[in-house]
Amino acid sequence: MDNTLVSIKKLIKYFPIKKGVFKKTIGWVKAVDDISFDIYAGETLGLVGESGCGKSTTAMTVLRLEEPTSGDILFQGKNLAKIKKSQMRKYRKDLQIIFQDPYSSLDPRMKVKHIISEGLAAHNLYNSKQRNQKVGELLDKVGIVPDYMDRFPHEFSGGQRQRIGIARALALNPKLVICDEAVSALDVSIRSQIINLFKDLQKEFNLTYLFIAHDLSVIKYISDRVAVMYLGKIVEIAPKSIFFNKTLHPYAQALVSAVPVPNPDFKKKRIILQGDVPSPANPPKGCRFHPRCSKVMDICSKEKPPLREIEKNHFVACHLY
Amino acid sequence: MQNDKNKILQVKDLKTYFFTENGIVKAVDGVNFEVYQGETLGLVGESGCGKSITAFSIMRLLDYPGKTVGGQILFKSEDLLVKNEKQMRQIRGKDISMIFQEPMTSLNPVLTIGFQITEALEVHFKMEKTKARKRAIELLERVGIPIPEQRIYEYPHQLSGGMRQRAMIAMALSCDPVLLIADEPTTSLDVTIQAQILELMKLLLEQFSSSMIMITHDLGVIAEIADRIAVMYAGKIVEYADTRSIFYSPLHPYTFGLLTSIPRLDMDIEKLESIPGIVPDPLHFPEGCKFHPRCVFATEKCRKEEPPLAEIKKNHSVRCWHIEKVEQEAKKISFTGRLTTDG
Repeated sequence: MDNTLVSIKKLIKYFPIKKGVFKKTIGWVKAVDDISFDIYAGETLGLVGESGCGKSTTAMTVLRLEEPTSGDILFQGKNLAKIKKSQMRKYRKDLQIIFQDPYSSLDPRMKVKHIISEGLAAHNLYNSKQRNQKVGELLDKVGIVPDYMDRFPHEFSGGQRQRIGIARALALNPKLVICDEAVSALDVSIRSQIINLFKDLQKEFNLTYLFIAHDLSVIKYISDRVAVMYLGKIVEIAPKSIFFNKTLHPYAQALVSAVPVPNPDFKKKRIILQGDVPSPANPPKGCRFHPRCSKVMDICSKEKPPLREIEKNHFVACHLY
Repeated sequence: MQNDKNKILQVKDLKTYFFTENGIVKAVDGVNFEVYQGETLGLVGESGCGKSITAFSIMRLLDYPGKTVGGQILFKSEDLLVKNEKQMRQIRGKDISMIFQEPMTSLNPVLTIGFQITEALEVHFKMEKTKARKRAIELLERVGIPIPEQRIYEYPHQLSGGMRQRAMIAMALSCDPVLLIADEPTTSLDVTIQAQILELMKLLLEQFSSSMIMITHDLGVIAEIADRIAVMYAGKIVEYADTRSIFYSPLHPYTFGLLTSIPRLDMDIEKLESIPGIVPDPLHFPEGCKFHPRCVFATEKCRKEEPPLAEIKKNHSVRCWHIEKVEQEAKKISFTGRLTTDG
């Protein structure tokens, strides 16, 4: 497709494990290990996986808040992985992130208006009066009374702080917004307010989201396409309707079946995975999921399954297909 | 099944307040419920609604500035609130035990798993060390910890999150408790591990024929495990009924609001509803019905008078002045999943 906004190619991010007086590198944590995917303009790509699967590292690396070990990050045709850090600055406007914890992601000593306009100031946009006006507009958009711009973060509740985080991300008219577990810390009744806000803003500002979450119910509601990660690898990507009607990868199947459904009569066959997720410092050979997979075959422990297009737009990394 | 004979816990008009510098926080304010033999009662609510404080009040584990100022907690027809610390210690861990949310912070990091399990057995049953160790190994095996003979010599940090929670469950079940209180036991776990633990808990509850109070904010988890549910809001129970009634015909606007605002895997939802406003500050709960500032059905009466928790139907109590309106709204919506596929 030609409306690709971001194209990730063979992205790898290893973190060194250091030991001893001289901090000798004795191994590598393979947080993100050779993943490729595209994000199309205007869509929401849901990235789901359990803790330690590399979904947040993917986000940080795409924004170059972490330096990629290798691979390409093509943003509107420009390879962000290959440009200098100083050059990266002009792309930061277009790429924004909203974090999980609304308490630690806002500077407690800054007024809300400064938090939101910091990006505008850094890019020398508008004078201070215009900036304040812009902050007012943004606060109004995210559902906070603009008069509150002189307050500090601690005067707001968790949901309101998340709204402030969203206003901050939107201040520079970004093209891509990465939401890293942006609704996970919120209470049930507040969460749906914020999820709906994300949807409304997407329409209004024509935003593209990379929506990272561990909660498949949220992913199902908000995403257009779904990508599942396991131990640094993407195991399945598909448009939402295909993914939920025809989940193919055994890990993705187990993940879907594990989600508790708020319906006392909803009977489903649950696939209970044995054991825990192995350490990304020493991932299993071959398919990384094979030690826990119920459909394991001989080939699985020997060869890595590539992510292949099984049917139109439905990619799966599994030897079964 | 529900008669007075097999009622094992009765909480009557429980009031637990926190006396802070800024004023009195009425964290639990007049809560009534019962737990019957062999059942699981779900306590559901959002942060700050008082569900955990209710549990801590039952266990008498409150610290200053929290204090239970009124009510009764009848366990085997004895009031736990009049017992002294020594008597409580004989009940805790033996008759009533608790599973906490954070297995890392609630296990002692400097003691081995084995020691922490055998401790309770030695204290409560005066069991010998070797016998207690054998029992600990057996318990770890039952909760699905591989190579338990080795694991009992390990420390909490050597176990993964899921394994720690299993160890915690083994500990809680070690003395065959009559009542188990589980406070968000799966909240900090990954989904697939949560599924493992939930299945395990269901199985063990049956085997040990214990009753349980399950505290959670997750409506999915509660639908799966609870027989009856009490929904809490701002220190009070607002709806109290069996699980199906809560999920299929909610009568309180808050329950109704919660159910329509959660994204669901079993339904394709066009647009999520949401409850307006924010969870109230416990220092300044609103007058009248605590939910009225966020309620779409609120009238003048709601602002002034607090509704009582009234039994509307058999075993279905609701704290609201406008039940008919909620019932009508609820009838328009299907709360059952449209998809009934097998996994």
